[in-house]
Amino acid sequence: MEQQVTVVIIEDHPVVTEGVASWIRSDPGQRVRLVQMARDLTELRAVPRPSADVIILDLELLGELVTTQIPDLVAAGYRVVAFSGHSDPAIVMETLDNGAHAYVSKEEGRDHLVEAVLAAAADRPYVTRSQARAILADQRPARPTLSEQERQALLLWFQGMSKASVGRRMSISENTVRQYISRARAKYAATGRTAPSKDALLARAIEDGVIKPGEIMPYTSFARAATDRPNEGAPGR
Amino acid sequence: MTAVQPTTMMSGRYQRAFTIAVVVLVAGWHLAGAGGQLLDYRPAYGSFAFQGAMWLVMALAITAGSVLVLRGAPGWRAAWVVAVIALAASTAAAAASPAGQMLAVNWAWGSAGWTGVLVLLRRRFAELAWFLAAEALAILGVQAWDGLNRADLAGFLALLAWSTGGQVAVAAGVRALDLAAGQAATAAAGEHAARERAATAQIIRVARHARWLALQESAVPLVAELAAGTADPGDAQVRVRCAVQAARLRRLLAEGDEVAGSLVHELHASADMAERRGVAVEIETAGALPQVPGPARRVITDAAIAILTAARSQARITLAVVAAGIAVSFVADTGAVVPLPAAGEGVAIEQQQDGGMFWAEARWNSR
Repeated sequence: MEQQVTVVIIEDHPVVTEGVASWIRSDPGQRVRLVQMARDLTELRAVPRPSADVIILDLELLGELVTTQIPDLVAAGYRVVAFSGHSDPAIVMETLDNGAHAYVSKEEGRDHLVEAVLAAAADRPYVTRSQARAILADQRPARPTLSEQERQALLLWFQGMSKASVGRRMSISENTVRQYISRARAKYAATGRTAPSKDALLARAIEDGVIKPGEIMPYTSFARAATDRPNEGAPGR
Repeated sequence: MTAVQPTTMMSGRYQRAFTIAVVVLVAGWHLAGAGGQLLDYRPAYGSFAFQGAMWLVMALAITAGSVLVLRGAPGWRAAWVVAVIALAASTAAAAASPAGQMLAVNWAWGSAGWTGVLVLLRRRFAELAWFLAAEALAILGVQAWDGLNRADLAGFLALLAWSTGGQVAVAAGVRALDLAAGQAATAAAGEHAARERAATAQIIRVARHARWLALQESAVPLVAELAAGTADPGDAQVRVRCAVQAARLRRLLAEGDEVAGSLVHELHASADMAERRGVAVEIETAGALPQVPGPARRVITDAAIAILTAARSQARITLAVVAAGIAVSFVADTGAVVPLPAAGEGVAIEQQQDGGMFWAEARWNSR
């Protein structure tokens, strides 16, 4: 049997933690093992080495948005799966840009959380419908360029079709649908701020043949892209 | 916003007329008043060429100032550059005049003062006051250098009252007129808004009548059948017709609410009946949605009502921005293909049945 993926839940509502634990328990393959539950990030900071493969992180802990803490967790060697009631595309984008592997909204938890954790542990892309929505809504100047096919696959997936249905609609195999969606996600890992988790996702995507090195946009920092825009700098500059 | 724009536009028009009047006044003064005086006293100046050159410098300052104020309110820097050039030319002209006759032959004081009025007209009143005071002090300084007796001082004060008094009066007058123009424009805008409200009320009345007619041909016959007993509420077909009509009524009510994102609002209203039946309806949007015209919205919501009525336990509605418009999609466990109402009004509908799940997408293109 494959080794179990270990996971920590950071969540300030015990009832949600219980729900997540029950989804993990009811996984038929018992592929995930819950090793720790915490209500905030202080306990994790005390431990010098990562105590699990993946963190399931509630983005709002005790009333505070913790998206800015993700880079530290990623730097410490964790893979982060954000699990949140906030489905605002801007927050989803910030979460991914900060180095989270995947974003799962609370409505999507039952169907997607365990799968997202497993994909994250393998550094593979996992795109939920809320993530697809954020990508479709993305209008930032430094966003990666998606192909027509990638955009169409993301749109149909966001609309609520199963990947098999998306394939039938686009007259391609379900596997190709996954490939398009994963490639769109990998392109996002190649943009914005640098993070070891994004490099790992990208390396794995290249290894799996999801994306070719030539398809990756050159790295541009969002901060730099912002100052490159005319008329938006400090007055007089 | 629409109420403010005509106001600022109209009072802007009045203000421009006042500005043009001041430009004409200042240019006229410099040409006829100052120019005439310069020619009259031609033999009295030590160097007429120098006085003529200063007159030309002043003319250039007035031209530059006119261009500035006609192109919009000048910034303090541009305004003061022009004012200081005028002040310098005036002081130089005074200093080069023959001693003892300066006040009599001085053509420049008035022109410099008027130039100041021109460029500082719509700036703080204190700035004009400072400028006129500096000008008067400069002339007084030149006079004092030549020697100041009682007669000279009296002449200076008379000239001061004559020229500066007129300049201050014009500046204050324009200010008062600006204020009046603003009030007149506000009153006109109020009248305009009232007319607009009346027109809106008329549009709403027409829309209400159209909705009443729409009910006449769909809901009213059904209610009549139910009342007459010809339609049996126990019949599944009749129940579906009732559900569709109830959803339409809700949509008609929602169409009356003028809110941002009308389409999303109407889809929520259309989903209401399905939710009462226990169908879980999700509605999600991606991107900043364009405004969809009323007839196209109705085609889309008609499709929504058909699908939601057929949904058994769940339905997902999404609205996404696509290249030239909006893609509204429906995924529901209808179990079978749902006959959809006709497309049209720029809306194209596609559908696909996959197992128990039905997918349909209504695309509206703005072009």
